[in-house]
Formats: sequence, structure tokens, C-alpha cells
Amino acid sequence: MFDERFDVIVIGAGHAGCEAASAAARLGAETGLITLNLDLVGQMSCNPAIGGIAKGHLVREIDALGGIMGRVIDRTGIQFRLLNRSRGPAVQSPRAQADRMRYRAEMRRTLEGTSNLHLRQGKVVDFILDHGEVAGVELEDGRRFSARAVVVATGTFLNGLIHTGRRTYRGGRAGEPPSIELAESLKRLGFPVGRLKTGTPPRLDGRTIDWDAFEPQPGDQVPVPFSFSTDRLEQKQINCHIGYTTPEVHDSIRQNLSESPLYSGAIKGVGPRYCPSIEDKVVKFSDKSRHQLFLEPEGHDTNEVYLNGFSTSLPAELQQDLVRMIPGLDEARVIRPGYAIEYDFVDPRELGPDLQTARVRGLFHAGQINGTTGYEEAACQGLIAGINAALYTQNRGGIRMRREESYIGVLIEDLIKQGVDEPYRIFTSRAEYRLALRYDNADERLERYGREIGLVGDSDWERFNSRQTRLALLRKALDETRLRKSDAQHAAVSALLNADLGDVISLAQLAKRPRVTANLIMSLLPGELKPVTESDLSSVLADSLYEGYLNSQKATIAKLYQHDGLRIPGDMAFQAISGLSNEVVERLDRARPQTFGEARRLPGLTPAALSTLLVFLSVQQKAI
Amino acid sequence: MSTVVALSTPRGRGALAVIRLSGPQALAIVQRMAEVDAFDARRATLTNLKAGNDAEIIDQVLVTCFQAPHSLTGEDVVEISCHGSPAIVRRIVDVTLELGAELAGPGEFTLRALTNGKINLAQAEAIRDLIAAQTDAAVKQANRQLNGELSKALDPFKEKLVEVIVLLESALEFVEDDLPAPQLDHIEQALDSVIAGVGHLSASYSAGRLLQDGARVAITGPPNVGKSSLFNSLVRHERAIVTDVPGTTRDTLSEAIDIGGVPVILTDTAGLRETTDDVETLGIERTHRAMGDADLVLLVLDGSSELGPEDRDLLDRTTGACRLVVMNKSDLPSFQPFASCVDDVTPINVSARTGDGLPSLHSAILAKLNSSGADNGSLLITNARHYDLLCNAKKELESARACFLDRHSEELILAPLHNALKWLGQITGEKTTEDILSEIFATFCIGK
Repeated sequence: MFDERFDVIVIGAGHAGCEAASAAARLGAETGLITLNLDLVGQMSCNPAIGGIAKGHLVREIDALGGIMGRVIDRTGIQFRLLNRSRGPAVQSPRAQADRMRYRAEMRRTLEGTSNLHLRQGKVVDFILDHGEVAGVELEDGRRFSARAVVVATGTFLNGLIHTGRRTYRGGRAGEPPSIELAESLKRLGFPVGRLKTGTPPRLDGRTIDWDAFEPQPGDQVPVPFSFSTDRLEQKQINCHIGYTTPEVHDSIRQNLSESPLYSGAIKGVGPRYCPSIEDKVVKFSDKSRHQLFLEPEGHDTNEVYLNGFSTSLPAELQQDLVRMIPGLDEARVIRPGYAIEYDFVDPRELGPDLQTARVRGLFHAGQINGTTGYEEAACQGLIAGINAALYTQNRGGIRMRREESYIGVLIEDLIKQGVDEPYRIFTSRAEYRLALRYDNADERLERYGREIGLVGDSDWERFNSRQTRLALLRKALDETRLRKSDAQHAAVSALLNADLGDVISLAQLAKRPRVTANLIMSLLPGELKPVTESDLSSVLADSLYEGYLNSQKATIAKLYQHDGLRIPGDMAFQAISGLSNEVVERLDRARPQTFGEARRLPGLTPAALSTLLVFLSVQQKAI
Repeated sequence: MSTVVALSTPRGRGALAVIRLSGPQALAIVQRMAEVDAFDARRATLTNLKAGNDAEIIDQVLVTCFQAPHSLTGEDVVEISCHGSPAIVRRIVDVTLELGAELAGPGEFTLRALTNGKINLAQAEAIRDLIAAQTDAAVKQANRQLNGELSKALDPFKEKLVEVIVLLESALEFVEDDLPAPQLDHIEQALDSVIAGVGHLSASYSAGRLLQDGARVAITGPPNVGKSSLFNSLVRHERAIVTDVPGTTRDTLSEAIDIGGVPVILTDTAGLRETTDDVETLGIERTHRAMGDADLVLLVLDGSSELGPEDRDLLDRTTGACRLVVMNKSDLPSFQPFASCVDDVTPINVSARTGDGLPSLHSAILAKLNSSGADNGSLLITNARHYDLLCNAKKELESARACFLDRHSEELILAPLHNALKWLGQITGEKTTEDILSEIFATFCIGK
């Protein structure tokens, strides 16, 4: 009765789906990756770029766990920049412009080169369940595939509705059909579904742009790649360009606001506040006389240029007029108009930390279906869902990422505990332990997990270990290399810093002083350690810079979990605890946690509910 | 959820007593005892209470109902004002127990109010302080915190702190957006004002603590200057507080009195000294100890004779303490009213025998104790936990300020700022962590 049999099926081949399928297949699960259009695997629906503050951290973490996004962007990136170079190492993050087409091609090549991974084109319309557990999926063309685990990674396709001006049409992306039946089957299964919105700007013909009117923005001289395994970049590097809107553009937008579905009330979904449309920018920040725009080339094989900063759902013909009011774009032609899209998402509080739904065993959700926005946010969920789906079919325990250890952990815990009321994007400020979660130490934090699961191969593991050995040696050298008052270097450094260094100072101590650069430390290192790479040295110096803060954070973490051992009696009547909502009681009853720590990690338990539970447990213990 | 009952006024005989029930059965239980058929919400109704339909009347009472969620606890609450005889109170409570109520545990009303979101942590603590409050001024102070004044006082600082955090965070997170550079002097000013505000509140703790715990005032001085007479006339002049505070009964040399609303524990060190056989050494040591413990030292000298070396010695030794110099025996002809014993000391002239000058002494004591403003209407910190949290916050804020002035990267300035916000948040319970709650409820043993 099944046309094909798989262990794991992944629905959707976007950034979440690709990671999920790659991870599941490499863990030995026969994996089917089903997509509406095999030519658009790994498609970047919006801007042709990966990374950015906190997002770059996510990509590094994906890489350390054995995911593929970092490798693919390194092979197809056409401009790399490390953001926040002037700030501390914890908040620096890599970003790259991608060649959109080459990224797709490289992603498909990577997936096709993976054993156990089977690409299938088709439209999934329903789930097949057996005794409430996932058993497979049914396609529009009548095919039926079996699987013990299904990862849903449908992006904006679930019930997608596209707006340009007053025109609306059903679609998952411009020019692509939506997935309406699947949205219905999720609702039939009882999943609470909400509506979100996102938008994208117009794309221009690069030949019609007066490039001299814009300020070039080059990439870094020494690019920082995403993957720990990347030694050198392959693509020729290009510039982006920066320009600005004018008050005339703003006036014209204001006059035409009634044409915008955002302001006419046609759009019901909630959009991200941190990725506003140009309409929103003009209305909400009316005192700003200009808004910044980035001209981002889409790749080496095309003239198409992405007008970042000008996301809009105004009518297509009006977009063309508005673009031509921008200095330097007087002659520019719009190739693809911008649009807004509304889509369904499923309340992520339905999920456990393994991204499996509590409602249907074997069903996993990853990416925008969980209310997130961004390729990196999607990819990291795909990776975790794919790993856990494979482990589930192999009857192995799942993995759970901890928020004090990774941004992935922060993201997943935020989603499953708090839910979303606007598209969720990662920020460094979402991480309480931000100083410990650096892009450069993602391998130190997570590589061993990737190895234990089986995603990190031998050569990567060897590279990781040799870097750890080098860092340890370097740390030792910084502690043991001391400048004494009798040394010539001591006097030279004192003079340079105009500071009293005392009788003797180690390089580690010296590094914590203001105005001490990595280059200075490099020049003071003993000869036998050279050549030390800049990246190794920055990692070690970052450890030492944040040491004091990290120690006090460790104490905080220990304190945070001090009640975890508190036992919850097996016959605990949660509904008798006043102050707990029915929903929380239901969750507790379903999970029957045995300790406070287990309860604390349950999805949907608010801090208030946990406090209430803790009070009652404490009172009860005292009474005994 | 059970329905709980408790006597809400102090135990013992009084004109009136208030019994309070809270929970889903509260109204039904009282209804079965009352003669009237229905009660209007929030309106006092006069009725007789009985143990049952045919039973005899227990008492004529006033019943006031508060329906959930518009009540102290967020549940149905019924308050019964009955006559203040312990027998009547016990009988009414017994009948409610027979009808299904349970005796409330310590702090249970407050706990229910807290879990139902009727009050926040700061208010819960204020209720505890209110119940423990000894004098009018302390009651007023506890009332202020109950009304959320501490939360209100903190809010502007928290807002300002959040504003700074937002500025620094956005500079970090949105480097690619064309944001205006943060105004450095604006951030510095905002930090300074938050530090000053938090510092001011935490500094009020010493005065606040005096209100809550009582001020220790020690009377000291050379022999035969009239210390005991002064002690006795102060105790007679002021309203003595009747409490069972250990060590404040009449047969010791300490007495709890109320001076202008401030609870004062007055100690006569003179007695210690005069009853000691082994003359000076031991006596002086004990006097010193009493003086060391005191919030205020009253140094009593004999104003009717010239100051001797012993007097000057005591004046020297108490210079550093919070003290008042009292010249006694102003009723004697040889008294020298304006005797300035030491420069910059303004003595207070009294006669312990006639009571002359006692009102001035009274004001002077208050002025000394209130130097941080106990009576000028400003908000005082009376809770040790609040004080600790404010101090923690201030420390973090100062470290953030130092980081900022050294032009460290934003993430290093933000680490202590987030900590400071966390500490301030713990006062009002908005950012409740497990720790804080368990700590509160470990100490929360009073309150009905």
C-alpha cells in the first residue's frame, strides 16, 4: 500500500529541510526529501545573504554540530564581512553575500552526494497516522510514502497568501503554489495555527543602475569563513553598494499608503518589527529624512540586484515609480516587484526540546512553521529536528540544546516555552550567557556533541582536536611568558602603554589591559610558538577577556538550577494548585514530571507557573 | 481549592475582632450561619450568627462579602466583625470549621493573594511588615510599600536603566542599520541618575530599619548626674509600648517607648555601672558595649557643677558616635544654662526631676534618628532583602559606569546593567526566579 518506504521524510527543501534531510541521512536513516520544485532546493526566498549578528553564531553552531549551511555558503559566498569588529569578540559575527543560484546548485550537489538521501518532487497533502503516530505521507498525485518520522519544514508555503497593492493571490513564494491541503491537515490534527507576515523588496536590473551614485562597501581583506573546516574561499569577491531614500520618496509613499495592504487592513498576519517594510519605516519614523539602502548583487551569473532595505507590498507599478525617485536609480528597472506574504504557523509550544510535537509522535516541526524568520534560524531547527527524527526511528534518545551553551538552545527554548507573537529572530541579547557564546568558540562548545551523535566525521574531528591542542599550548604560553622589569621588552611595553606594569607581568595579565592589541601580544610570544594564527590567538585572548564575567555567570547558572532535584510526588494533583492555568495543568498531567528540574524544562511552563509550582512543592516539603 | 478561615485581628480581648474566610465556600458557609438571606458584595450587613437553624445566637455581627476576583486574595472573601471576646471568636471559627472551612496556615491569605496575582512580592513583604509594625510611623511606612510605592519609586529608575540598555543593545545588534550613534553624555547622565536614585533609596535603609526594628538609645554618663532619673522621666513622659519584646520589661534597665512614632528601646547604662562591685573596669566595658550597640547615645552630664576630667574624657570618647549631650539638673540654681562644654556641641538642658526641657530632648532625639528622613514623608527601605538587592544593583551599576567611562565594548557594559535590572526586578517580583520565592516563603511566617 506504500509506493516507497523511508525511515524519515522531510517536507520542504528550504534551509530547514535541507539540514534536516542531510543530518537524518548521514545518521543512517533512509531519508526522503520531498519538495514542490527540485530546481529550487536551498532557495533564498528573500535577501541573498547568510549570517549577521547572532545569525552568524547560529551558522557556526550548525557547523560545529556537523550541519552543512556553513560549508555551502563558504563555497558560494561572494562577499564576506565580520560584523562588529570594533566591539568585543562575543558580539562579532560573520556575514556573507551569497550567489543565490550557486548556493542552490551547491546545496543540491551536497544533498545528492549524501548516501541514504532521496530527493523527490511532489506535493504532500496529508499525513498518514497509525494509532496516533506518524506512519507516512500522502502526495497530491496519489503516491503514498511510509516513514516513522516526518519533519515538516514548509516555510511560508502553509496557506501562503501574497499581497502586492490591492491584488492578492495564493502562493508560497512569488510564482510558486502554496500548500493549502497540508495546512488543513495540520488543523484537523488539532494543532493551534496562527498567521504571520513577512515581506521582500523589489529586484532591479543591474545594467540600469548608476553605480557611481552609490558608496561601495567592500568585503573584508581577510575574510572570515563560516565553517571551521574552510581554509580558503573559492568565489571571486565583489562589492555591495550603499544608498539612501529621499524625502520625496517618503512623501510619495505616504500619499499612496491606502494602496498598501499593510495599511488598508488587508493583511491580518503579524510582521517582524525588526524587518519593517519601507511603508512602516516612513510612517513610524517620520522624522527621518532618509533610510539606508543596500544594493546587493544576486550573483556572478546574473544582472539581478537585490534592493535591501526597501521591502514593500505597494502596487508593482508604484514600486517602479518609487525606485526611480531614488538618486542613482533614476533609470532603474524593476525585474521582480516586492511583495508581502501571509502564511500559517503552528504554535511552537506544541513542541518538545527535540522539536517533536507532543500531539503526534514522530512528527517534527522546523523553521518558519514554528514562527521564526531567517535562513539561519530555520537551518538550525532543521538540523536539530533531522537529528532527532533519525534518532527517534533508531530508538535512540534525542538531543536537547541548552541555552547556556548555544544560541540554538536559546532559540528552541524561547520558542517552545514562550511561543511567538511576531516572527522570531535571534539576537545576542536573547542569550543570558552571551559572553560565553562566541562565534569563534562554537566548536569548543558543541563539536563533541556532533561527534557523539555521529555527524562530525574523522577529518573534522581531527582538525577540531588539533585546534584545541594548539589553543591549550597558547594559553599555557600566555600564562607562563612573563615580562620582567629587567627585560628590554618590559620597558618598551610600559612606554607604549604609558602604564606601570609592576615588577613582572604575564602575557595573559597584560592582555586584559586596555589598549593591548592582539598584534602586541603576538609580537611578545616566544619564537617556538610562531606562527600562531590570528584566529587562534583571538580565541585565547577572548577567553581571558571574559574570564571574570564567565566565572560569575557559572555561579548564576548553578544557582538557577539549585531546585532541580526537588521531588514531585507521583500522586501530585496539579489541578489543585491554584494559580496554574488549565493549559499548564494539562501539560503537567501529560508529562508527569518527577522532579522540579523536569517540570522546568517542559514546554509552555511560564516563569510564573514554575514559581507557583515551586512554592507549593516547598510548602509541601516543609509540611512533611 | 479549600476555603480557609482565621482570626485577622490580634488574639486576646478587644472591642471588636475580625474573622476572615477565603475560598469558594466562604460565602456559603457564612450564609448557613447568618439570619439574613443574602449579602450585597462590599456592603456591611448586620446579622445574627448561629451554629445552625435552631441553635442559639452566637453573636450579632457585621458581615462584608468580597466576590472573586475583587478581593484581597482574589477568591471569595467574607469578613465577620464580631465582638472581641475570645470565646465568641472561638465559637464562630469552630462553626465555620464544622461547615467545611479549614484553619489558614501562616501567611496563607497573602500566599493566595500572591498566587492569584492580586499583589506582587514587594506588596506581600509589606503586608508582613505591616503586621509586625509596632508604631504609627512604621504602620504608615509599611502602608506606603503596600500601596506599591516602592515599586513606583523604582519604576522611573528601571525605565531609565532599560532605556540605556536599549541604546547599547541596539548599537550592538543593528550595526548594519543606519542608527544614530548613541549620545555618550546622555548615557552617562542616565547612568548617574539611576545610580543616585538607587543609592538614595538604599541609604534610607538605616532610617527605615529604625522604624521597623526600633532605635536603640543608650543613656550614659558619669555617676550621680541623674541618668536613672532621666530614664524614668523619659519612660513616664512618652507612651510606653506594651509588647513582649524580650528584654523590654520593667524589671530590666531597658524600656520600649514611642517617641514621635519611632519605636525606641531606651537603655540605662548607669545601672550597670552602679551595681557592679568590681568598680570601674568591668562597668566601663559594659557601658561601652551598650554604647557600641546603640543607634544613639545620650551623654548625660551634671550642668550644676563644673565639668571635670571624667566628663571631658567621656565627651572625647563619644565624639565619633551618634550622640546627644544632655545637661541635667537645670532646676538647680547653680546650673549654667549655656555651658558650652566643647566647641561645636550644643547641649540640651533638662531637668529630669521637674520634666523641664524634656520636649526639647524629645525633638532632638527624633531629629537625630530621622536624619535620613523618617518623618519627612519620603519612602524608606525597611526590608533587609530590599536593601541587599538595592546594594547589589548599585554595585553592578557602578561597575557598568566604570566600564562605560573606560570605553569598553558594549557587551561588557551591558553584562552588569542586565544584572542590575535583574536585582531591581527581584524587588517587585516582576522577574521572579525560583530562588527569591523560596527565600521569601522560607521566612514568610506571619500574616493573615
